[in-house]
Order: sequence, then C-alpha cells, then structure tokens
Amino acid sequence: MDAINGLMTGFGVILTAQNLYFCLLGSLIGTLVGVLPGVGPLAALALLLPVTFTMQPVGGMVMLASIFYGAMYGGSTTSILLNIPGEAASVVTCIDGHKMARQGRAGAALGIAAIGSFIAGTLGVIIMTFFAPAIAAVAIRFGPPENFGLMVLGLVCTLYMITGSPVKGVLMIALGFLCAAIGIDVVNGRERFTFGSVDLSAGIELLAVVIGLFGVSEVLGNVETMAKSTLVSEKIRGLWPTLNDWRQSWRPMLRGSGLGFILGLVPGGGPVTASFMSYALEKRISPTPERFGEGAIEGVAGPESANNAAVAGSLIPVLSLGIPGNPVTALLLGALVIHGIQPGPLFVTQRPDLFWGIVASMYVGNVFLLVLNLPLVGLWAQLLRIPYRVLFPVVLLLSVIGTYSANKNVFDLWVMLGFGVAGYVLRKLEYDLAPFVIAFVLAPMLEQSMRQSLAMSADGAMIFLQRPGTALLLAASALLIALIFRRKRKIEGGMP
Amino acid sequence: MKYSAIALALAAALAATPAAAQGGDAKAELAKVKPKDFPTEPIEFTVVYPAGGGMDVTGRLLAKTVEKVSGDRIIVNNRTGGAGMVGHAYLATQAKPDGYTVGVIANLMWGDAMLRAQNRWAYTDLEPIGYINSDALIWIGPTEGPYKGMSVKQIVQTAKDKPNTVRIATVPGSMWDYIVDQVEANFGAKFLRVPFQGGGAGITALIGGNVDVAQGFYSEFRGHLEAGKVAPLGVAAPDRMDFLKDMPTMNEALGGNEYQWIIIRFAVVPKGTPADRKAYLGAAVQAAMKDQELIAEYKKAGVYFDSKLTNPATMLQNLNEYAAREKEFYQKTGRLK
Repeated sequence: MDAINGLMTGFGVILTAQNLYFCLLGSLIGTLVGVLPGVGPLAALALLLPVTFTMQPVGGMVMLASIFYGAMYGGSTTSILLNIPGEAASVVTCIDGHKMARQGRAGAALGIAAIGSFIAGTLGVIIMTFFAPAIAAVAIRFGPPENFGLMVLGLVCTLYMITGSPVKGVLMIALGFLCAAIGIDVVNGRERFTFGSVDLSAGIELLAVVIGLFGVSEVLGNVETMAKSTLVSEKIRGLWPTLNDWRQSWRPMLRGSGLGFILGLVPGGGPVTASFMSYALEKRISPTPERFGEGAIEGVAGPESANNAAVAGSLIPVLSLGIPGNPVTALLLGALVIHGIQPGPLFVTQRPDLFWGIVASMYVGNVFLLVLNLPLVGLWAQLLRIPYRVLFPVVLLLSVIGTYSANKNVFDLWVMLGFGVAGYVLRKLEYDLAPFVIAFVLAPMLEQSMRQSLAMSADGAMIFLQRPGTALLLAASALLIALIFRRKRKIEGGMP
Repeated sequence: MKYSAIALALAAALAATPAAAQGGDAKAELAKVKPKDFPTEPIEFTVVYPAGGGMDVTGRLLAKTVEKVSGDRIIVNNRTGGAGMVGHAYLATQAKPDGYTVGVIANLMWGDAMLRAQNRWAYTDLEPIGYINSDALIWIGPTEGPYKGMSVKQIVQTAKDKPNTVRIATVPGSMWDYIVDQVEANFGAKFLRVPFQGGGAGITALIGGNVDVAQGFYSEFRGHLEAGKVAPLGVAAPDRMDFLKDMPTMNEALGGNEYQWIIIRFAVVPKGTPADRKAYLGAAVQAAMKDQELIAEYKKAGVYFDSKLTNPATMLQNLNEYAAREKEFYQKTGRLK
C-alpha cells in the first residue's frame, strides 16, 4: 500500500540521530510551552521560527510540529493544578480537573490527561497516514454555510458549560458575544465599539482575556486565603489513575479523539473548539451529568484527547493542500515557504520525504511526550506544595510575559489586568467564566460565516437549508436545545 | 526558564554563522557610511503582520541578508493587530527615531494613514529608506463548473447580465474591494461579494466551490495552479508578469488604465531618525537587495521588482507618485474628503 510505503520512507527520514533530537527538543519545548500559563504554541513557534532557517527543512518542520502537539500535552497541567489554563485549549479542563486536584486526585487527572493525549495523538496520526488526501478533498468543500452550522452547534454546546444558575450562564455567553464584537467589522471593514482607539481597533486579544480571567483572577482570589500555606490539602491520594478511572475514561478518550480529529479538519474548528465540544458531548451522554463540575474524570479525559486529535486533524489541510485553518498552522506554512518549499496539493507527491517525515515524526513524538509526561506527573503534583507567596508572583510574571509576547503590544497587558479584576468580581458573584471565553472564541467565526453565507446566497437565509451539511448541523443543534428543555422540565417536575 | 535559554542559545549560535561566512565588497561599501557610534545594540525590524505570512517571510529574509552584508544583529519583531493598523501607528507615533527601529511595511500603510489614522499620524511620518519588492493582485477563476475557461471580460459580462449571481471573494475595505468597485462602476455589473479576512481564505473558498472568482497574489495560489485547481484570469498591474506571460493585465482585458492594485513592500524609519543613521540603514537595505541569494529567494516566492523603484535615486519620488495616485482614488470615490 502507498501509505505503508510512504510511512516507511518517513521513518527512514526521521530515524536519524539529528532528526530524533529535533523531535525530542520540540516535544520538550512544547511541553514547557503548554505548562507555562500564557506562553502558547503560537508565540513559541513565532519565536523559534528563525532558528529553523539554517536547519534542514525536515528537522525544522519536525521540531515546529512537535512544539504544536507537545503544547497540548502540557496545557492541562496548570489547569488541573492551579485552575489556570496553560493555553486556550485547556480552559475546560479547569472545570473538573481542578476539582479533582482539590479532592487530592491531581495525579489521576494528570495521568489520564497525558494518556488521553497520547491515545488521541496516535489515533489521529494513524488516520492521517492512511486517509490524509481523501479527507482533505472533503474538508475543502466545507464552506461558510457549513461553518455557520458548526458554530451554531458550538454555541448550543456552551449551554452545557454552565454549572450554576442558567440565567447567569446565558448572561456570560451574551457578554462574550458583546466583547467579541469590538474591532473591525468583518464585512464592511469599519470599526465598531472602538471609541476611536487604535488599540481597540484590533479587537480584544483572546490570550489576554484568557490569562486575565483565569490566571490573574485566580491569583487575586487566592491572595484572600493566604492564611493557608498551600493550594490543596497536603494529602495527595494516589499518583495514578485507578482501575475505576480507566473504566470511566476510555470511552471519552475515544469519542474525544474522533470528535477532535474531525473538528481539527474544518476551518472553524481547531483544538479550542474541539476541547469544549468534547466536554459538552461527555456531559450530554453521561448517565450522571450532575458529577460534571464536581470532579468527573470524563471531563478531563474527553477534552484533553480532543485537543490533541484536533492538532493531527488540523495538519491535514496544511500538509496535503497547503491550506491553514488556524494561526499556528498558518505559521507552519510560512516556515515551509521560507525553506523555499511550495505548499499545495502537489506537496505530498513532490516532497514525499518531508510529508512522510513529518507524519512519521508524530508517531515518535507522541511516544516521547508520553515518556516525558508520565514521570513528570509526580513532579507537577509536588508543585501544589509550593507556598503561595512564591508560586503566585511566578504565575503573574509568566502571565505578563506570555501576554506581551503574543503581539508585543502593551495595551494587551491592560486588557489582561482589566479582565483579571473582572474575573475576580464575577467569581465572587458566582458567574461561570468558561462560557464567556467560549462565546468570545465562537462569536467572530459565527458572525463571519453567517454574513459570508448570506453574501454568497442568491436566496438569502435559504442557503442554510439548501446545503445538506448545514441543514444537518442546524437540526442537531435544534435537537440538543429540545433535549435541554425536556430534561429541565423533568427535573422540575420530579421535585416535590 | 529552560526553554527560552535553549532558544536564545540556539538563536545566538545560528545567527553567528551567516554573518561570519560573508565578507567582501558589500561590507566594505557599507563601512564607509557607517556612523561611529551606531549600531551598538541589535536593530529591530518591525513587521506589522503576523509571523508566517507573506509580509513576515519578506521581512525575515531581508533581515537575514542585512545581517549578512552588515554584520549587525537584527531582531524581527511582529507587532500585529487591526490588520496592520496597530503596528503602523506604533512606528509613526511611538517608536524612537534613533535608528534602532526599522519598519518592514507595505503600501497598505497609505490607506491606514489616509483613511483610518484620523490625523493622529500621516504617511510622511514614516520615511522610506529602501524598496524591497512588489506583488500585484491577480484574479483567479475555477477549473471546473459553469465559470470554467471564462475570461475576465466574460465573467464581468455575466455579472452584468445576471446581477448578483457571480460570487467574488474580497477583503473588506482594501484593494480587493476597490478593484471590484471600479469594475462594477465601469460596466454596470453587480457581484456577490463574499468577505474574507485575507486573500488566502478566498482562494480556499474558490477551490472548495464556495466562490466563483478569487483574488490573490501569485505566491498564494501557485501550488494550486500547478495542481490545476485554479486558473489565472488577469493581473492588476501595468505590465504582464514574467512568470505568467499568457495572463493578460486587467487593463488589457477590460480596457483602460486604472486597474492597478499592487502591494509595494519597502523599509522605513520613523521621521526624525538622525540623517547618518538613516543613510547607513538605507545603504544596508539596498546592499542586501543586491544579494543574488535574496533576489532568488524573493523570485521563488513569486514577487517581482518594479523598475520604477529599484533605482534608489528615484525611488522616493516614484513611491510618492504611487501614494498620490491612491489618494486620488480615495478622493474620487468619496472615501476621503
């Protein structure tokens, strides 16, 4: 088979001391980038891009790709331990992961996250090996109307993120939409809600919002309880997932892998969307949805698998068609161009060494990452013993560095601080922060895809029903909403 | 932080190699105009678009070559946001005019200055020191479906006969939109304009069958062209492109001479940069632009060199003429009063 031959070529390319070294180095950097709150894969890749100029293209690309998927491994660590996401794709992991840590089960959560990442990453690359060109041909048909359907489904999924009062949750979603509307109108190019400020004309930076809402506000909130010297009760029960954890986790891992891979392929998808849609899925089909938000291990296993599978999925359009779906893959594309390589549909046939080398390196890289991350579980769990007065200044410092490094724009730091204070107040008032962030991520894509669809349609809104993909996604959204209301009535009806 | 230590060590080690490898004439020439006290620290090349994009690649290749010919240390910094607006405003109003900041920008800055800067800054606040390269906007069509094989003229005719049926990808508030304005005004045609955030996204939509015409630069669609997925229709430049001799200019295809929409990339320093430093930086950029390797790299990326701008003596004057031409368009269409 072609794929097997290709893969053999790939392993031939990758199994040299030098390329293995770059793969290991990338995995290591990726893990650290993921662990450090604020410093995301995009900033790291931009920083290291010049380093790859003088390297062989294979080594350079292997390193950059491994940073990208390595970051998905590390991202869950601070979510679980500190309730501060290492990067945006790990926001939902905070919900149940941190609860688990507070119950002394940080080790189990970290272990499941690492193993889930490995399984999803490996499954993703296996699918990539055999079906990349075929999948890419289908994915490119996914246009604005289909993207709109997906975004609506995503929006419905945010309803599953709400843990407390539904009214407060919906308010946060609305607020997320409002904040996302700031900036340049996607259709007519005019500025909206910027009050004439140049800084606001770019809109609000997602990274600054996430770090502010989760990182800074968490630090502020914990300063109040400084009396206690450590974050979590001293007792950390069991560093490894138990048999029962496994039983509860393997299905979410597989579902998360599948969902994440598909979402990675399409333009509006990617690791962030994949992680929270997986969370919503798990909560929806769980026989005990009330456990979610209280330390359900499925809420860690699903999303952490999904964001890794999404990375593999998002590499397919880039490598087999030369079409990037998110900023990180756009940067990888730029790296290829700098090396004088023309990405595009002919890339696989023209540079089989490079394409298959990258694919093969992902098998190796995922093994490296598992071997790197599992022993680290014990070490990370020890982080919880670090006193506040040491840990939090470090977290704040990293937050500032991470936020600034993305755009080198000082205004982003003020945004971070502002959202930090807002997050602190909102937590006090028991508002959920995750729905806000997710609505903030979805809103621009929802708006753009809707207005693009209407612009390209001769019959107005009918386009959403004329395209079978869109109609299917919208039907699924309607069904989910109906189910939410039915369950709510059932619960209310059951109450005496 | 271990990771940044690794990055710094690697960057330092690798950066030292190209500078050391090159000696020779360019360096000697530059040494003549080099100020005594400059530079004593790394020079920042500011790119106002995100890492990995066309502008970033241009800036990084230039930085690499300037390092090679001058021996100075260059850091490329992406100051992004607002489709370049944030970076342009930074260069014009905040960057210190001390020679340590060089902007690697495009003529899109003119539109920002004229239409969006609200008199907080003007395009004259950024002084050009060296021309880099140009990229002309190209209309591309599909290789399947009802619009397959149509010329620009035929497509425009269809958009006139059956208004609101032909879907064209644009980027709102930019040259992608302006050229459609011109065509619609001159022919009474009406396109369905589908807005995208950049040319590349529109080309993807063309291949996916979601639009019928896309607009972009050669480098953005060359891979798809080679694979037979897209067909070049016309280029919005005064002359045909060397790499696509069979493709007519939009002026040839539609008649007239107003269909010229070109990205011109050049290096600038903030107004007020000391004359000797400005001269040195200009000489360094111009020396880099003579480097055969760099020229080959740029050509490989699919750009071209505008003969009106390659001569440093007349570059400034001709750049200003282009800017005046753009201003005239804004005034004519009522965008600028």
